[in-house]
Order: sequence, then C-alpha cells, then structure tokens
Amino acid sequence: MDLSVVVPVFNEELSIQPLYDAITKALSNLNLDYEILLIDDGSSDNTFLNAHNLAEKDTRLKVIKLKRNYGQTIGLHAGFQNASGKIIVTMDGDLQNDPDDIEKMIEEINKGNDIVLGWRHDRQDKMVSRKIPSKIANKLISKLTGVPVKDNGCAIRAYRSEVIKKFPMYSEMHRLLPVMTALSGAKFTQIKVKHHARKFGSSKYGLSRIYKVMIDMVALKIIFTFFYLPLYGFGIFAMIFGILCLLTLVLGFFQILLYPGTSLVTIMGTSLLLGSLSFFLLFLGIISDLIYQNGDIKIERLLKNRRMNKKIFYSFRRSN
Amino acid sequence: MDKKIDLSIIITLSESNTYDNIAELYNAYKKSIEETGLNYEFIYVTDRDSQNILNELFKLKENVKDIEIIELAKWFGDAAALNAGFEQSSGEMILTLPGYRQIDEIELPRFINSYKNVDMLVAVRSRKKDNFLHRLQANFFHYIVKLTLGMNFNDLGCIVRIFSRELLDKIYIYGDQHRFLPILASRSGFKVKEYDVAQYYTDISKRVYSVGHYTDRFVNFISIFFLVKFTKKPLRFFGFPGILIFALGSLLALFLFVQRTFLGVGLADRPLVLVSILLIVFGIQLFAIGLVAEIIIFTHSKESKEYIIEEIFHVEKENKIQEKEKVKVKESIKN
Repeated sequence: MDLSVVVPVFNEELSIQPLYDAITKALSNLNLDYEILLIDDGSSDNTFLNAHNLAEKDTRLKVIKLKRNYGQTIGLHAGFQNASGKIIVTMDGDLQNDPDDIEKMIEEINKGNDIVLGWRHDRQDKMVSRKIPSKIANKLISKLTGVPVKDNGCAIRAYRSEVIKKFPMYSEMHRLLPVMTALSGAKFTQIKVKHHARKFGSSKYGLSRIYKVMIDMVALKIIFTFFYLPLYGFGIFAMIFGILCLLTLVLGFFQILLYPGTSLVTIMGTSLLLGSLSFFLLFLGIISDLIYQNGDIKIERLLKNRRMNKKIFYSFRRSN
Repeated sequence: MDKKIDLSIIITLSESNTYDNIAELYNAYKKSIEETGLNYEFIYVTDRDSQNILNELFKLKENVKDIEIIELAKWFGDAAALNAGFEQSSGEMILTLPGYRQIDEIELPRFINSYKNVDMLVAVRSRKKDNFLHRLQANFFHYIVKLTLGMNFNDLGCIVRIFSRELLDKIYIYGDQHRFLPILASRSGFKVKEYDVAQYYTDISKRVYSVGHYTDRFVNFISIFFLVKFTKKPLRFFGFPGILIFALGSLLALFLFVQRTFLGVGLADRPLVLVSILLIVFGIQLFAIGLVAEIIIFTHSKESKEYIIEEIFHVEKENKIQEKEKVKVKESIKN
C-alpha cells in the first residue's frame, strides 16, 4: 500500500459523499495503490451509515467506527494504527481542505521530507473570530518554540507513516504534532494549499483554545529542550538559584562588615528562600529522572531510524 | 450449568458501614430481579475482619447456589471491593446494590428495564419524605459538584447503579471513589443517565454522619476534582497560577527596585522584599510541579490512550466479505 488517507469525521453526514468523490477524483489519475480510512468519532447522526453504504461498493474505503466521541487526536490515532500505507495523509472531514493538494504533498515526501504541512495562505473563514487569533497564535508559537510553522491548525498534512506512528497521541496532541515532530528532528516542509469555505454544518472549534494551545506548546518546548534529561534540565535551574542564594549570602556578609547593626532579616530571608528553591528543583529533577527512566516514551529514541531510511522509497507517475 | 449470565449483582459489605440483615435483603432483591427474567449472579464482597457478615453469608450460601462470596484480606474501601467483585463477575451488565435498603426493591425491575441506549443508569431517590437537613446537605453537595465540575447529578450517594462491563474496564477507581463513578464515567465520554426511584422508608431517617465522614467526603471530592479537571494537561492548570504569582512577585520586586534606586528607600528592614521573593519562589515551584506532571503524562501516554473501536467495515478485494469486528485497544492501566 502506497498511501492512506485518514479522515476523522464527527457528525458530517452530508459531507461524506462529496468528500469521498473529491478524494477518489483527486487520486484517480495518480497511479497509486491507496486506501481511504474514515474514522467515525462517535457521531450521533447518519455519518456511519452513509460511509458504510459507500464502503460496500468500494474496496479501498475502510470505515472505522469508534465507540464514543473521543476527540480528534484519538480519531487520528485510530486511523494511524490501522493505516497500512507508506505515506499517511490526514484531512478534515468538513470539505474545507482540497484533496487535489495530496499530489503536491506526495512529491514533497519523495524529495526526502518526513512531514509536509499544509498552509492555508488564502483562508476562507471569518476574519475576527478565526483568522486573526490564529495568526497571532501561530506567530507566538513559532517564536516560542523556534519552529517556523506558519499554520498549526491546518488539517491537511502528509507524513511518512513510520515517523508518525511513533509519536505519543493524547489529549489534544494533533495540534502539536508539527511542532513536536520538528523538535524531535523530523524534516518538514510547508506548501500552500487551497481552502474552501464551509458548505455543511458548523465549525467545531471555538476561540478559547489559544491559552491551551500556547501552554501546551510551552510544555513541549521545555520538555524537548531541557528535559529529555530531566535531572540536567532541573539541575541547571537549581544551580542558577543556588548561585543566587550564595550571592545574597555574600551580600549579607558585606552588610555586616560595612553597616554593622542593621537588620539582616530581609537579605538572609531572601538567601534562604532562594536556597530552598534550589534544593526543591534539584529534588524535582531527581523525581522526574525516575519517572522518565520508567516511562515508555523516550524522546531521543522517537526518530532513531530516520537516517537509515532516508533514500527515496517510493515513486509514482501520472497515468495520463 | 453454564448458562450465560446477563446481570452481575455486586454488593459490597463491611462492618464499618451500615448494613441490613443479609439473608432478608438477598431474598428481597432476588425476588424482584427474577421478575426481569434475566440470568443473574450475586457477588458479595467483604473482608476478613467482618466476621459477622462472613458467617451470615456462608449460612446463606448453604441454601442458595447463585451467590459468590469474595473475602478480601483487608478493607480498602468500597471502590476496591467493587473492583474485586467486578473481576469475578461475568455478566455483560453490572448492577451495584447497597448493603442496606436505599430504594424500594419493587422498583428494581422497572429500573433495570429502563437501562437502554446508555452506558450507565444511576438511581435517584425521590427525597420528598426525607429529613429536611439531609435534603439540604445533599442539595448543597450536588450544587458544589455542579459548580466546580459542571456536571449535573442529583444523588451520588445512591449506590443503585447499572452499567456496562466496558465502563469499569476503562475506569479505574480506588478508595471511596465509587461514589463518584458517574462523574468519572461521564468525563470519559460514557453516556450516563439518571432515573427516579422511590426511597425505602428505613433509609429516610437512618443516616447520621460523623465529622470524619464529611472530611472523608471532602478529601475524596478534591481528588476527583483534580482527576477530572487537570490530569490530561497538568501544565494548563499549574502553569496559570504559577505564571500569575511569579508575575506578581516580579512586579513587586520591580516596584521595590525603583524605590531603592530612584527614591533612596532602604530595603534592609522591609518585609515586602521577602513577600516578593516568596511569591517568585512559589510561582516557580508551581510551574515546576506542573512540568513534572506533564513529564509523567508525556512519558506514560502510551498506556493511557484507551479507546474502543466498535466496528471496522471494509469489503475485501476478492471475496467481498464484510468483516465486522470488535477490537479492544490496549488494556487499561489497572496494574
């Protein structure tokens, strides 16, 4: 299998047929062995039924029905685990992405990239409630993390499957995947993709996500930069505060020498507080080290196979 | 002999809790459950220290076959007992019943039959005849739950609940958390519904609680609160107050610095310096704790991604057979 198209859908009964048509049409003139995975994330409407009817006629369509609504991250995860293609393309089920872009993305993967991200340069959404906040968030995120992703919210992405299957997927991780994979050393590129206005249903995201996404990004960045060796990460800060503690202590001594008889409470108090913080961080570092050693996911091992498989493993040509 | 069991009834008993006459209650429960026509089994869970209960249970088992007794070495709370009973059970539906009469047992068939299209059905006692004080405290407790967790439940004290096997497979509870099982279930995306039943008359005046009972309940509630709100993304919780307090301390420090350098106010005898440093230190500590929690979640996330695929449908290339399968992904983190 060359390609798996993974589309999580939630209450999109009207979109299923046009989505299927668009994907098959876009892929029809590529000489590819592909499959489409529709993940029904516990929809309450006829989403599953519609998809089921389509799958009866087409062997390339695989429908996965989840027991409940688990959210997009788990939906994608279920898709990744059941995908057998060498390349995995993810899309939104609301028809805002254009499957015609898949071809360009595969070309980029063939150039040796691990991940290809879509970038909605001409976004068809409401200006004030959607576009401006997301612009600000994307700017901030790329400043904070040092990963210049222009559009973290764009759902159309292509991954080499062996890369993406290793990453932890929990909570709202799907939003952080570009940054996380880039931080762990994956080679990524961004291409402009088309974006359509919504035809059916209403948007399922709100404005309030920015704080959450931001703080998640901060956590990721810190974990990936300092805390792949937790004792080392916390140790640096413990040392900084230890030095500050000693400095204030020295200052206190000078105060005794230069101004005998003045109160030492504040300077000594400050010194003690900083000293206790230093020890606190050191011990936290030891605890985190313990946790990390016993955990399943080691950041330094996420992409250990990358170099070996770098050669272009797949080629395709247009049939007409 | 090996008939398939539809309904497993789990009753947890301990001498530290109130309980009614066991044989009498068993007969009452049994009589009304037989009306539903389901194949059932009774599972009693108790501990080694509750000798009186054990004696009564073994006496009961001499006469009837459909009960199973689990004797725990030590009592670790109702939730632990429920888990032990659950591991022993084989029914697709689990019904938990209290060791004393909370609801009128003639309501049970109606209750069991209305368990449809949901994952969990919780009985709610109609408290019309109940003591005013009891009603007040119950309302207060459920109001707090609604306020803090945004979930509307009306009788978390009632143990009469029926739920699917899958639910307890996925949700790990311990200590006295069984009370909060509906909250945890609905947080995990299970459909939980409430169902009104009549309260039994002995349940109306019986309950007098000690102060310890309330502190227990409070501590339990706090743990549930954290579990529900912040376990998935701990830094979102710890980070915000951490940053806020750190910023406050820094502002204070800046203020003091300006006073010292430009206005010449001495710092040596000002307690405000200590306050500012304390705030900074505290803010960093909170953030660091959140980070540790985040590392825990990150490194152990492989275990926690639990989800259930109800069905995978696709048509095979040659023989066009539709395969329906039920796949359980990943065992829960019970061990």
